[in-house]
Amino acid sequence: MSDGVEDLLRELAPQVLGALARRYDQFDACEDATQEALLAAATRWPATGLPENPRGWLLTVATRRLLDEFRSDSARRRRETALLAATPQSALLETPAEPDVGGDETLTLLFLCCHPSLSSPSRIALTLRAVGGLTTAQIAAAFMVPEATMAQRISRAKQTIRAGGAAFTMPEAAERGERLLAVLHVLYLIFNEGYTASTGTDLTAPRLSDEAIRLTRLLRRLLPGDGEVAGLLALMLLTDARRPARTGRDGSLVPLEEQDRDRWDQALITEGVTLVTETLPKGAVGPYQLQAAIAAVHDEAKDVDSTDWPQILALYELLEHAAPGPMVTLNRAVAVAKVRGPAEGLALLATLESDPRMARHHRLLATRAFLLELSGDPAAAPTYREAARRATTVPEQRHLTLRATRLAAADDKASERAG
Amino acid sequence: MKYLLMIYGNQEKWGEVPQETWPEEIAKQDAWNRKYQETGELIGAYGLADAVNARLVRREGGAPAVTDGPYLETKEYVASFYLLDVESEERALEMAADMPWADRDPVELWPILHEAPAVP
Repeated sequence: MSDGVEDLLRELAPQVLGALARRYDQFDACEDATQEALLAAATRWPATGLPENPRGWLLTVATRRLLDEFRSDSARRRRETALLAATPQSALLETPAEPDVGGDETLTLLFLCCHPSLSSPSRIALTLRAVGGLTTAQIAAAFMVPEATMAQRISRAKQTIRAGGAAFTMPEAAERGERLLAVLHVLYLIFNEGYTASTGTDLTAPRLSDEAIRLTRLLRRLLPGDGEVAGLLALMLLTDARRPARTGRDGSLVPLEEQDRDRWDQALITEGVTLVTETLPKGAVGPYQLQAAIAAVHDEAKDVDSTDWPQILALYELLEHAAPGPMVTLNRAVAVAKVRGPAEGLALLATLESDPRMARHHRLLATRAFLLELSGDPAAAPTYREAARRATTVPEQRHLTLRATRLAAADDKASERAG
Repeated sequence: MKYLLMIYGNQEKWGEVPQETWPEEIAKQDAWNRKYQETGELIGAYGLADAVNARLVRREGGAPAVTDGPYLETKEYVASFYLLDVESEERALEMAADMPWADRDPVELWPILHEAPAVP
């Protein structure tokens, strides 16, 4: 299938599902029918060429599938009769009229996929399928689980939505803010999953970080005035800009301070910085905007030493106020060390040791090792080693082991010279 | 987050289970498998053959050299293993504690190093 057709289908997927779900209000059946219509288009269009009205074509095919499904299901017979009676005959036979502008429906769809009754893996899977138009096989490949496992997860998620009686309607205004936060968090998780994965060569699945950026752009078109949506998009662009420099040729992890900044993607940086600059002055600065602002300061520095660390520290202080959490404190400790010296950074880290979420966390140990290294403390090497033992990913574990080994070798040489 | 859950045993231990309760024990395990396959959290459940079927493999002069043992000094060996994909460590612990025999013998739970970590 040509990329053009695939891109078009994935753009139309939420619009078709949205229109269908709004009309029939049976999300799970509508979702199945939409996937079948997408599949039919994917096999037919490359051979026959695009129909005149691709969205109408998909909507017609999906509607027919949906009604076939209703007819074949005897348990739904009564509802089917009511549904058929309520549907004008023309809607069954003719190309449906151009659906309303897909915006509100796509947004409703996003809210439904991030429904509070769903676990976060289910929200992610459902969003990628229903809004992203990805197949179950593609989502399974991206998360490295068998297709059957992912199919179960998606079908359970749809059952949960049905059992909970969640309707395909926009949440009440009072609830909308909270639901938007859930949507942003899901998009952020999808981005992170894709960004930290070192296996980026899988041809069967689109890169999840690209998908997250595409969906966040879509969300920004729907909610152009929302600062946090803009902030999240900027954060993704400014982080993704560093991707080319982030891994060595052998797939090893290259930390920010050692990255070749000439390999950063300047176009993404420019776009991200512009977004941050436009959004920040508008007030009501949320955590995504602050994280984007921090990423922008890093991305605009020629090298580590010319980084505006006082600015980064000030932003972390704001972030700690807006969205306190141990990870924020951890990052603030690095900024404190850069501005006021490693001893003060270590003192701030010490406050995290009583936090049960952090006490045994490899990132706390890795950061402490880094600050110990900055202050020339020989405890750095064993601390890196302990961090490596607790690391949860292969690239991090290798990177931390390497640092421990390098430092230990340097310490040995130094003590040989001293001896 | 992916986890490996393992149960250990040996013939002696299986022998202690009265024959007539075996079907019940197996049904309990099948129910556990089904329950978590349905939530999409159990990726796979694998029972291992008896230790008499295990082989030690070395490479000698570039060719495989296969023997029946001796194995590491161990009274119990891995009997079954399960691959989990869950949202959090807490959830993995909950599933492990829900294993049919977990009130008699502990099960082992090992995190699997993942290429893409859950974001803290």
